[in-house]
Amino acid sequence: MAERMTLTINGKEQTVDYEPEMMLLDVLREVLNLTGTKHGCDNSTCGTCTVVMDGKATKSCNTPAAKAAGTSIVTVEGLAKGMELHPIQKAISESGAVQCGFCTPGIVMELYGLLETNPDASEVEMTNALNKHLCRCTGYEPIRDGALIAQKMIKETRK
Amino acid sequence: MKYKYVGQPYNRPDAISKVTGKAVYLDDVRLPDMLHTAVLRPQYAHALILSVDTSVAEKCPGVVKVVTGKDCKFRYGDNIKDLQPMAVTKVRYIGDPVAAVIADTAAHARAALDKIKVEYKPLPVYTDARDAMANDAALIHEDMDDYWRLPTLKQASGTNIANTYHLVKGRGEEGFDEADVIIEQEFNYPLGSCAAIEPHGTIVWFKEDRTIEVWSTTICPFIIREDLAHSYDVPVSDVRVHTPDLGGCFGYKSDVTTEQTIAWIASFVPGRPVKWVGTREEDFTSTLLAHGIRTKMKMGAKKDGTLVAIKSTIYHTGGAYADTAVNVTIASTHNSTGPYEYKHCDLTGYTVYTNTPAVGAYRGYGHQESQIASERMMDLMARKLGMNPLEFRKKNFLSEGKVNAVGETMWKHNGDLLECANRVEKMVFGKPKPAEDEQYVYGRAMVTVMKSPKGAPFSTKGCYMKMNIDGSVNINMGGAEVGQGLRTVIKQVAAEALMIPPEQIRIYTEIDTQYSPYEWQTIGSMFTTQGGRAIIRAAEKLIAQLKNTAAQVLKTDLDYLEYDGEFVYLRNDPTIRVAVPDLARGYITSDGITIGELAQSVSDARLPRYSNPDKNGQGSIGVTYTMGAQGVDLKIEKKSGKVIIDHYYSVFDVGQVINPLQIRGSVLGGVMMSIGAALTEEVVFDKEGRITNPHLFKYHIPTYKEAPVQTIEFVETPDPIGPFGARGIGEHSVIGAAPAILNAIYDAIGVDLFEIPVTPDKVKAALEARKELK
Repeated sequence: MAERMTLTINGKEQTVDYEPEMMLLDVLREVLNLTGTKHGCDNSTCGTCTVVMDGKATKSCNTPAAKAAGTSIVTVEGLAKGMELHPIQKAISESGAVQCGFCTPGIVMELYGLLETNPDASEVEMTNALNKHLCRCTGYEPIRDGALIAQKMIKETRK
Repeated sequence: MKYKYVGQPYNRPDAISKVTGKAVYLDDVRLPDMLHTAVLRPQYAHALILSVDTSVAEKCPGVVKVVTGKDCKFRYGDNIKDLQPMAVTKVRYIGDPVAAVIADTAAHARAALDKIKVEYKPLPVYTDARDAMANDAALIHEDMDDYWRLPTLKQASGTNIANTYHLVKGRGEEGFDEADVIIEQEFNYPLGSCAAIEPHGTIVWFKEDRTIEVWSTTICPFIIREDLAHSYDVPVSDVRVHTPDLGGCFGYKSDVTTEQTIAWIASFVPGRPVKWVGTREEDFTSTLLAHGIRTKMKMGAKKDGTLVAIKSTIYHTGGAYADTAVNVTIASTHNSTGPYEYKHCDLTGYTVYTNTPAVGAYRGYGHQESQIASERMMDLMARKLGMNPLEFRKKNFLSEGKVNAVGETMWKHNGDLLECANRVEKMVFGKPKPAEDEQYVYGRAMVTVMKSPKGAPFSTKGCYMKMNIDGSVNINMGGAEVGQGLRTVIKQVAAEALMIPPEQIRIYTEIDTQYSPYEWQTIGSMFTTQGGRAIIRAAEKLIAQLKNTAAQVLKTDLDYLEYDGEFVYLRNDPTIRVAVPDLARGYITSDGITIGELAQSVSDARLPRYSNPDKNGQGSIGVTYTMGAQGVDLKIEKKSGKVIIDHYYSVFDVGQVINPLQIRGSVLGGVMMSIGAALTEEVVFDKEGRITNPHLFKYHIPTYKEAPVQTIEFVETPDPIGPFGARGIGEHSVIGAAPAILNAIYDAIGVDLFEIPVTPDKVKAALEARKELK
């Protein structure tokens, strides 16, 4: 591994070695063995590789690894606290939004990026965020249901 | 019928591992000392291989071995052995494996591919069945006559026709002499992709103990096991195949797809596992495609609206290898009638070799491809007869006592199509249609559809059931969970059959041929029906065992005993009883002496009397059918020609809803896929046979914003085969969208379209044609 950087992954600062041509997705999956973030296409279309980078939902398959130096990254592995699921995970797992589950990590992280910073996100903001993700199983309706339940749950915990 | 657990919206057991990122899909599997491979694809879709030079690639960083197809002696395939793991003398499509690099990392393997030098002699390329059928067409498989094939299949020697299926009912084409009105038209359902979000991937490991271990994105691990055992001459028991979590299938992860290629590659580095995960481009170019079906249909009716005769000719662009396409063609052909009775049928299906990736299963398995024709033709014929299209359909429904094309009599328990149609009629036409405005013109239509399973006579699903000492139960089956939610179905059916709460039942996760009971493959909307029956059989056996042991404990005859999930008790005095958990590993008496047997059972179930087609192409080849009606409200943006689906309606007679949350999810997703096929999805080839859109940003599958509102209802006429009356529904939701949308476009602008996808440019042209008509 020719390059080295320090970054924060799921709250823990880490120094990682990586190849210069690697994308952030490769660092997560191949170097750090965080396989929750998925590889679905090769050109940031499907959205399943989405992680939250410095508070913003980011497609990791076309983010060069070097760009992640010094940033704070949250992946799908970083949301649950022990046995306690994050409200987004709970809502998405119960609304019928999960069938094959391959798009799920990206959708969960997209919503995390949106609702953590903006729990009052409008329907348009929610739609624009979710439109960055492809799901072949659900017809999207249960994803919208889950997102709305998650938003409600997050708002309630912040009251 | 009211059940305790069946019909309730239980959540799926795998939802939590999937939202936490802990579900293990193929690409997440890591093995000791694992190598990676990348596969070289050709520059030509049809060419002779003159030479392959691997010498430079062999010296690239990290490279362990470069593999070619040289010396490969075997062919494989389930229906026709026309496949080879790697091209030997020629390439037949743009994704054909030519060579492969094995390296320490996937990146190193990919980097070295460019260094392999191949010389080709290009040959003529055919990307459509019609062209490949021309008299002077070059042969794609010169040695086709030498291939093993199922005895029911017949190639046309000296042509590119891999199989011809022909069905005759009544007097066949002669029956048109009874018709007053005859119409004829050709339709096209072009090549598409299942485009699951998870691409295909495979790991193969030839181990030093001469066993072979495989992990793959497959829904048929047992077929792969048998296939590899045959190719590498080892006992089937020495091949172990794992199916990890699957990121969607929709058809193209059935049959043997990439496994034989990766096995061939891995066989060159025995002792080390070799992993391949397809790029999205390879998922389009080098795995199975879908559809590719042209249907020429001739329909004859009497003046009063009674259908009398149908002639369908199916031209199937089957791809470079026909093994996986041939049954799609057959299903498409004999189901091209749609849910209507014809006295006379003449149905022909040609599976044709072309220089395109092999076509395989896609949710719907040939039905939507030919029912686009039947459902458009029903509207065209109704117009000619001056009848309401729905009244015309109703007059000809395959209702109780009618006989379908394959000669099966329909029964009341095949479902209440009329009720489905009436409901959708009310949904679509029970409200005023919006008038054309500045921006949009509005259309609406409805169709009726049906689907049979299209399996194989020997197809079966096994079930192992074991009760634990606390009365909880583990169930192990071979059904592949692709997202459809079959583990929830198993849980609910088993809970109902065993009369215990679902929380006491744990379902298997991974499929592993070493531990899992046999299952042919999880296809054809058949898991609930066949698997559910297997669960009921296993539960009945297990309860019988509990009673057997209890008869000894309670010192009575077996037939005096009852079971209620908690106790086995004496019918005439329920206070004389023994708790079920106390019987689970036999019964331990007060002095420790144990009597009876472990509470565990084995079962399987297949469709009753399912057969091969006879010489007329008929037979017991459907057995169970699910029928339904679908409708659409759409609008066309006049400026752009864009079709926008406002509302989509589906009503199917599913016999019995097992899980209302999941069944709605299944139909929602199926409808969305089929709207994609109707509006945007087509795998496009250039003249040289190259795919011009092998990426998700070019092959547009529907997005969040394009999802219409959906109304979904179910009629429940119990089925006598499936568990608690349930019948299959996994694929049926995809059948109606294409013809419903085309019929609604006619309703909107009075222009008939006969092929999909109806992209904005095509609709724009139709709008121009409409102006000319005015």
